[in-house]
Amino acid sequence: MKQWLALVARLVVGGVWLYAGLVKLPDPAASIESVRAYELLPGAWVEPVGYLLPPLEVVLGLALVLGVMTRGAAVLSALLLGAFVFGISWAWSQGLEIDCGCFGDGGPNPDAAAEYPWEIARDVGLIAMSVFVVAVGSSRLALDGVLFRHRALEPTDIDGSEHLPELTPDQDDQQEIER
Amino acid sequence: MSVSRSKAQERAERHAAAQAAARRRERRRNLLTGLAVVAVIAALVGGGFLINRANDSAGAIEDAAASGTASSDHSLAVGSADAPHSIVIYEDFLCPLCGIVEQTAGERLTALAEAGKVRLEYRPMVVLDRLGPYSADALNAFFVVQDAAGDEVAKAFHDLLFADQPSESQTTFPDADWLVQKAVEAGADEDEVRAGIEDDARADDVAAATKAAGAAGVTGTPTILLDGQVFRDGRTYEEVADNLVAAVQ
Repeated sequence: MKQWLALVARLVVGGVWLYAGLVKLPDPAASIESVRAYELLPGAWVEPVGYLLPPLEVVLGLALVLGVMTRGAAVLSALLLGAFVFGISWAWSQGLEIDCGCFGDGGPNPDAAAEYPWEIARDVGLIAMSVFVVAVGSSRLALDGVLFRHRALEPTDIDGSEHLPELTPDQDDQQEIER
Repeated sequence: MSVSRSKAQERAERHAAAQAAARRRERRRNLLTGLAVVAVIAALVGGGFLINRANDSAGAIEDAAASGTASSDHSLAVGSADAPHSIVIYEDFLCPLCGIVEQTAGERLTALAEAGKVRLEYRPMVVLDRLGPYSADALNAFFVVQDAAGDEVAKAFHDLLFADQPSESQTTFPDADWLVQKAVEAGADEDEVRAGIEDDARADDVAAATKAAGAAGVTGTPTILLDGQVFRDGRTYEEVADNLVAAVQ
């Protein structure tokens, strides 16, 4: 059951990342201005981060949706969302009226402050789902299960951790007898 | 008894050894798969980064500037064309970041232009027409004033509009009377500008200026070019404006 819930969490968080990244991909200049609007990063960092975030979000979304490196992707997802929550809180505390730029359209927006609590709540919810994926560690319909399959020995844990049965001589004998 | 026991033990040891070997092989295979997956992920992100940098509209703007196709008939220039630096600023009279650039650096850049350090060229355009008619009305008024009273008065009018810039979120924007009043304050003759401001006499030029900016690759304001290169270095737009001044001083 937990593993199905983890699948749902993966799809929701991954879907949000995928969408957020894809809408930002066509306009790198707008992405840069969204980053600058937070007034957080030194000037020299603004451009690289503006270029990096959209593809990073798309790949992160893909990894979560497909279930590739699921745990690592979910950790990164939680960390990145944490950074965004910090950014929005910062903008709020500084009295900046900016569109969060979460889904494109960043920059000044005189009515933005009313959105901050909802944006933070949304991101916190996504963090909770990411943490859940990390905690469960594995979920249904993940490519990880194919990539990191345990071929040599059965049975294996579905999460890919290696809990191989410790064979004692007695058990071995037992198996021999059964054959 | 002892013979069979040692035989069983031997078999168990063989089995354990085979299993350990299989485990090692598998661990190795999973490690290699993991490394390959990480490499693919890194390549995708890195490739996306490079594609993003190549797709940046700054490249198109710089190309247009270099080819000379971006020169505008609807601009206002301050300073000698022989100045060692050139600055081009695309701006919208309603855009708040343009207001920040003007309020932070406008006076200093003008002084530098007059001192021969830089040629400063404004290419006003309309970006924020979705918020109301003010962007277009102000640009129309700018062209009317420039036509009727010349570049110097137009520059003063431009400065006054940014010094007293209305907020983007206003529901009612300054009207024609307000623009006429600013024009007169800047030094224009009311009789020469009122009709043109009220009737949007230069609407065609407003459209043409905006179209020319679009053709030059400009998708947003402020867009600043320093010596043909897009300039946007700074943590904030105040800092961008300060850095711009520092670059031509």
